[in-house]
Amino acid sequence: MTRTLFRNISIIRSILLSTAALAAGVAVARVMLTNSVRHATWVEVALVLALGWSFIASGLIAWRYRPENRIGPVMILTGVLRFVGALRWSQDPFLFTVGHTLEAAYLAGVAFILLAFPSGRLESTSGRWLFAAAVFPSVVLNVTWLALGGHDPQVCVGCPRNVLIELTQLPAIAYAVEIVQYILGALVAVFSFAVLLRRWRAAGPRLRFVIAPVLWVGAGAFGVFLLWLTNLFRAGVPLGAHLIHLLLRHGSAPDLLLDVVVALVAFAFLLGLLRTRLAHSAVADLVIELGTTPAPGELRAALGRALRDPSLEVAYWLADAGRYVDSRGQPVRLPDQKDGRSVTLVQRDGRMIAALVHDSALDEDQQLIESVGAAAALALENEQLQAELRARLDELAASRARIVEAAQAERQRIERDLHDGTQQRLVSLAMTLGLAEAKFAADPGAAQAYVREARSGLSEALQELRELSRGIHPAILTERGLREALGELIDRTRVPVALDVSLSERLPERVETAAYYLVSEALTNITKYAEATSVSVRVARINGRALIQVRDDGKGGAELSRGTGLRGLRDRVEALGGRLTLASPPGQGTVLKAEIPCE
Amino acid sequence: MRVVIADDSVILREGLTRLLTEAGFEVIGQAADAVELLAQVDAHHPDVAIIDIRMPPTHTDEGLRAARELRARYPRLGLLVLSQHVRAGYAVELLSHGTQGIGYLLKDRVSDLTELADAVRRVGEGGSVLDPSVVAQLVKRRRPGEDPVEDLTDREIEVLGLMAEGRSNKAIADRLFVTEHTVEKHVQNILAKLHIPATADDHRRVLAVLTFLNSR
Repeated sequence: MTRTLFRNISIIRSILLSTAALAAGVAVARVMLTNSVRHATWVEVALVLALGWSFIASGLIAWRYRPENRIGPVMILTGVLRFVGALRWSQDPFLFTVGHTLEAAYLAGVAFILLAFPSGRLESTSGRWLFAAAVFPSVVLNVTWLALGGHDPQVCVGCPRNVLIELTQLPAIAYAVEIVQYILGALVAVFSFAVLLRRWRAAGPRLRFVIAPVLWVGAGAFGVFLLWLTNLFRAGVPLGAHLIHLLLRHGSAPDLLLDVVVALVAFAFLLGLLRTRLAHSAVADLVIELGTTPAPGELRAALGRALRDPSLEVAYWLADAGRYVDSRGQPVRLPDQKDGRSVTLVQRDGRMIAALVHDSALDEDQQLIESVGAAAALALENEQLQAELRARLDELAASRARIVEAAQAERQRIERDLHDGTQQRLVSLAMTLGLAEAKFAADPGAAQAYVREARSGLSEALQELRELSRGIHPAILTERGLREALGELIDRTRVPVALDVSLSERLPERVETAAYYLVSEALTNITKYAEATSVSVRVARINGRALIQVRDDGKGGAELSRGTGLRGLRDRVEALGGRLTLASPPGQGTVLKAEIPCE
Repeated sequence: MRVVIADDSVILREGLTRLLTEAGFEVIGQAADAVELLAQVDAHHPDVAIIDIRMPPTHTDEGLRAARELRARYPRLGLLVLSQHVRAGYAVELLSHGTQGIGYLLKDRVSDLTELADAVRRVGEGGSVLDPSVVAQLVKRRRPGEDPVEDLTDREIEVLGLMAEGRSNKAIADRLFVTEHTVEKHVQNILAKLHIPATADDHRRVLAVLTFLNSR
């Protein structure tokens, strides 16, 4: 709603302003051409119109597409000032005076645009000083020049009276002021060009693309200026004298040169703007290109082309994992806003899809990025799903490998336990019995003692075997169910545990086993690290899902990623299609919670 | 006969010590791993070292490596390696560096006091001992294609096994209740059928037979 309103206002404003600009141009041309005393040439008229209209047109386009950027309005103002300056061709004393006063004001506008391009802000101190240095000769010195009687009716043949300001008649000083004006203007031009060049060198590819036309024209203007200067020196005439000579004899020649250059600058800005316009049309190309499903990674290239930013990267948001991945599912970290990279988020139907990581220069054209993002949202969402899938597959492969490794480690542990414990004990028993056998005939009493020893050794071996088999799988779990098995587990735990098992029927066996080991591992961790004084264990079945929760009041600070035990649990739970979550803020206890579907 | 025992299980070390003491051996040292074993042997110069194959730190074949090291340091020290499992490869590897005073016995075997005592004594006297189950495994091993072992009679296979266990002709004769001459004839037949060059030396015979059995 608001957007449409703004667009309507902007369209109406554009129509009104362009109509007014057309009329103003025609009026100025009429003033220039209908002056019977001082004849303006067609070249002069054409230059004024070209300059004024191109600035106003470029300004309107810029204003429309970048409403927040000041360059648009300043360009319009510059064009208008050019028209106003051309009023000095009027024979009407009032119009003539206004025109004469503001004759060079448009140059300050040009300087502003040059210095603030493309952001519309004078970002550096040097930029602000240069702008001030431009305003000074083109406005302040111009007025000073007039006040000192620079408007000499003897020179300006047929000019009307200066109605406004003329303090005194000091033509010599006025000429000096004029020369200072030219020199200062030239210096501002040189330094502005230097500033632009420096910015181009520091810019990313996207900004370079936009600045380039301005830079070319700037270089051209600079070249013209140098040529002009060397010509002066080659003539062997003192600079000042030559300048005065130029001003006296061919008063309009430098003005013409300046107008040509400035008009070119306007076209350069227009071209720079058209380049962003071209980019806008690239959105249409993008939509067509995305009609055919792009190959993985191809989308990034297409977006880079549409935004004219080859360095563009796409990071897909994985809501579940709460992190970004690239199109191959590999985790990526978004850059800081520093080092010339910016991030634009793409959403679809209120859901986060992706982040476009791009050249900060594109910030100037947020609308372009947004329209590119919107155009590509569907394709991005598609690729997001694929990236999510790949990330999941990677995670799955990793978790599967961990499960296999864990199983292998577990087998090794059992083998070691059997070898070191039971087997050795049995061998020793066999030896004791061997001794008994050897003593049997000669010393029955000793033999009996050995047999007794062997029997007690056998019960120890059996005890060991029981412990071991419980480690492999708790028999009580199969025989009596989860409640009893957890009860036995709790009996062996040193910390007091409150157990709450609300199950109307037994859970599926694999869920039961997972729940048992979850609680077992959690209790082991709590005993080892948490320094807890009380623990509660809760098992329930809610909406076809088994909920297992272990809560303690210990020191917290546990992490799922740390330690193989918890990760193994997560793998086990996720292998059953469940989710394991851990909340363990330091100093506030730990809640380990698993939800496992048990349909 | 002076004996050193190396096994990481205390129960087993104690059991063995008691058994061997009972059988008239003098157990002069115990070790829980290969490093301790080498130190004990260096200190006491026993006649026989009884070594568990699987010991810390890797629990794989430390005992075997320690035996090799001891053989290099003390060529006349008897080495009796104990193993939990039948591993013909280990046995052959152990005996391939010379069979004199070397034995490979399964742990199960140690409960038989006479058998254990016999094995320790034979190794201590420079003979060789190979657990019958290892030999049985080697003999039973079937290779596709022509296997000369199939040409042997049952009696010859029995003799082959006893040869491989490291027994002398006389011991074989005693075991089978036949004359030594009969055993000699069997041995000749066996060696001929298996194309093993005849030799008067018991040790080289064991090695030849083992190498043959293992390389099938």
